[in-house]
Amino acid sequence: MMPPAFPSADIAQIRNELAREKSHITTMNFIVWIDREENRGWVIQRAIKISEKHPSRTIILDASPGRIGASVRPLDPNDPTRQSTFIDIGVADIPPQEACEIATSLEADVPTVLCWSAESLGEDTAFRCFFAGGNLPVAVVDSSLGVRDATTILELAQFYQEHSNVSLRDLAWMRLHLWQDIVAHFFDDPALREELFSIRMVRIVAGSDAEALYLGGWLASRLGWTAIARDQFADRNGNPVAFEHERGGQARRIYSVALTTATSIYQASVDEGDASVVRVWAEGANARDVRLVPVQAIDTASLVERAALEDTGTDEIFETALRMVQTLIDG
Amino acid sequence: MTQTIAGSNGVPGAAVNPLRAGVASSRITEPCNVVFFGASGDLVKRMLMPAMYNLRLEDILPANYGIIGFSRIEWKSPEFREEMRKSIDEFSRSGPAKDPLWSDFAKRLSFVPGAFDDKDCFKELKKQLEQNDKELGTGGNVLYYLSTPPSLFGKIIDMLEECGLGPKTQKRGWSRIIIEKPFGTDLDSARALQAEVSKVFDERAVYRIDHYLGKEPVQDIMALRFANVIFEPLWDRRYVESVQITAAETVGVEERGGYYDNAGALRDMIQNHVVNLLALVAMEPPVSPTADNIRDEKFKVLSALRPMDRSRIMLDTARGQYDAGSIGGKPVPGYRDEPNVNPLSNTETYAAVKLYIDNWRWAGVPFFLRSGKRLQRKNSEIAIRFKSIPHRLFGEAGDSIDNNVLVMKIQPEEGVSLRFSAKVPGPKMHIRAVSMDFNYGTGFGVVSAPAYERLIGDAMRGDATLFTRWDAVERAWEQVMPILETWQNTPDETFPNYSAGSQGPASSDRMLAADGAEWRKI
Repeated sequence: MMPPAFPSADIAQIRNELAREKSHITTMNFIVWIDREENRGWVIQRAIKISEKHPSRTIILDASPGRIGASVRPLDPNDPTRQSTFIDIGVADIPPQEACEIATSLEADVPTVLCWSAESLGEDTAFRCFFAGGNLPVAVVDSSLGVRDATTILELAQFYQEHSNVSLRDLAWMRLHLWQDIVAHFFDDPALREELFSIRMVRIVAGSDAEALYLGGWLASRLGWTAIARDQFADRNGNPVAFEHERGGQARRIYSVALTTATSIYQASVDEGDASVVRVWAEGANARDVRLVPVQAIDTASLVERAALEDTGTDEIFETALRMVQTLIDG
Repeated sequence: MTQTIAGSNGVPGAAVNPLRAGVASSRITEPCNVVFFGASGDLVKRMLMPAMYNLRLEDILPANYGIIGFSRIEWKSPEFREEMRKSIDEFSRSGPAKDPLWSDFAKRLSFVPGAFDDKDCFKELKKQLEQNDKELGTGGNVLYYLSTPPSLFGKIIDMLEECGLGPKTQKRGWSRIIIEKPFGTDLDSARALQAEVSKVFDERAVYRIDHYLGKEPVQDIMALRFANVIFEPLWDRRYVESVQITAAETVGVEERGGYYDNAGALRDMIQNHVVNLLALVAMEPPVSPTADNIRDEKFKVLSALRPMDRSRIMLDTARGQYDAGSIGGKPVPGYRDEPNVNPLSNTETYAAVKLYIDNWRWAGVPFFLRSGKRLQRKNSEIAIRFKSIPHRLFGEAGDSIDNNVLVMKIQPEEGVSLRFSAKVPGPKMHIRAVSMDFNYGTGFGVVSAPAYERLIGDAMRGDATLFTRWDAVERAWEQVMPILETWQNTPDETFPNYSAGSQGPASSDRMLAADGAEWRKI
């Protein structure tokens, strides 16, 4: 752990240090917010992993109780290929607005990414501070971090309703890509396309609610369904579509998906013996043999990296899915 | 009834999959078989089968696929699977094969033993393909990969057609063919081979592979040029003094002595890899990034290459052959002492050529191309050397102001560097060259997938962008033929003329010196 170089977080002093330690190449400003001591170790490890790969200014803003002081240093002074500057600031005793101000001392010509590692999200004063000014960072959040229920995703939906211009990346949403691809693949065959319009039930088992809700919300928004009650959709012709989701499998992971249509059941489930493989098949009139789909083990650091490197614009498909989730939960 | 999705894209439901919006699949959706001719060979073991397995691991292969090995060796399918597992364990970038994906992959592997001119063996192949269609649902689609000596290409293609396996005689699905380089050994043989290929395969179904083109930095040449506004305005005769393209290797001929001694550096590297790089650097912006548009532009620039003036060939080219020396502190033999090489061989292991492109953009700008084996360092790069500043304002009398150089690094480093002048801190106006480097590895933190994975995947998808079209191959042969003929008719008495581990022959330096230029250090 880095020793604090300054006894307190003196913003002016930190700015001077930043000017002195200017890195050769900077691809982004990477701000990480922490609010509890027990998360600090692994959050910093992830931040270092990203900083090692991408020359950046990495700023850890640690609001854990009692965390004060600051240090500025090159990521690795002995290795010229590691060009990142690493700034660690304890912000427990300073107002959130002042902590956010650090962002204004950063390299202006590269994107700023805020990686939010606190469990509370949309209702957190500090989080909102980052989006009060003109230069909005890309916000990377994880609505299933630490919690398994739908609290954070609801907060996020509420925040997004008020800040629709923010580039928001939710890791819980990003983890779904494989599953979205698996579900979409069922209907890539034009002969099965009509099946999309006779889905009567969607059943998702996942380790946390956020992923299950996002997958259901995504499916509903793509197919033009409307949420008519808690866990109940209606398709475009007004036919009811039941939405069942339950906890099962690892946290932050989908375990299985089943789509029941008038004639068939399309299913995908993590292999019992090997969690790195998903078994995909269909039963009924459109039965298909089991196909094995490898799960690309994408760790959280890589997801954050992907979020940081992606386009900084808004994601319309994510937005509509998030809105659908909000409506679904609100009933 | 066809329903319409009124989602964000408002597209008809039956025409497109609405779940695909924003969920691009890297998977090849069309089912198909891949047939490797020469399946017991080194290329399949070291490169192609590990590439197929990694495509499977990345979930890029279609749901329904089969892989068939065809070779003279008397293997049965279980032996083939075992051999391929060993290859994957040894050479795959993802490490040893693991269940359950390996088992799933292995059950799609089958083997047909046989000679390449034996009709009965091709009938067996046909049976296996039909069986795969039935059992694996491969839909009659086949990608043939010719990983055999070039002398067998024609025979294999004939047999495919004769046995009802070619595109004109097959009953359903499509057939494509990947042909490994070299495509011919000279202009005549290339044309003869093309005549055989085109009898059976339409040009759109022919994928002439040059693995160099599958490398990420090569693909980035177009991105650098056409996705940035700052380079293209300088990219012509007004600002560019010369262009150097280097493909330097530290390896010798390894086990390829027999082949290489009949080929040489000009055929093996310049005619294909290096000329392809030249085309990418010098071409005009394509109308769109489609295979045809890009290949049209490449062909145009190759068409503008000034034909070699036979009376100047000895001045505008240089050749070399390595002698014994040392690489990385280890002694290595001379070329003539390599296995399967004629001890009196006059084959060049180093070739350098000066070319001009006679068009509006490049008139008068020399393109210096070189490639060699057993050189000091492995280094492939393209260096654009810009002209000198028109008027010198700064610097002391002893200072030199270096020209700007933009270097696109292809291997082993992958990236871009720009050399420019800067003031040395202090009271005096001293100017020095500094370099600004971008490295893909540290810049994006992503390891590029091997070229073969990219290229096989593209061929399965039907994307020919990174493959060479016949007109470009023919044009490249036309360009090098006068050099080949002149060199053949005038053996170089000075061979071997460079030591292994050096920068190449002195004659190559003299070739540039005549233009007041010098090679960049390898």
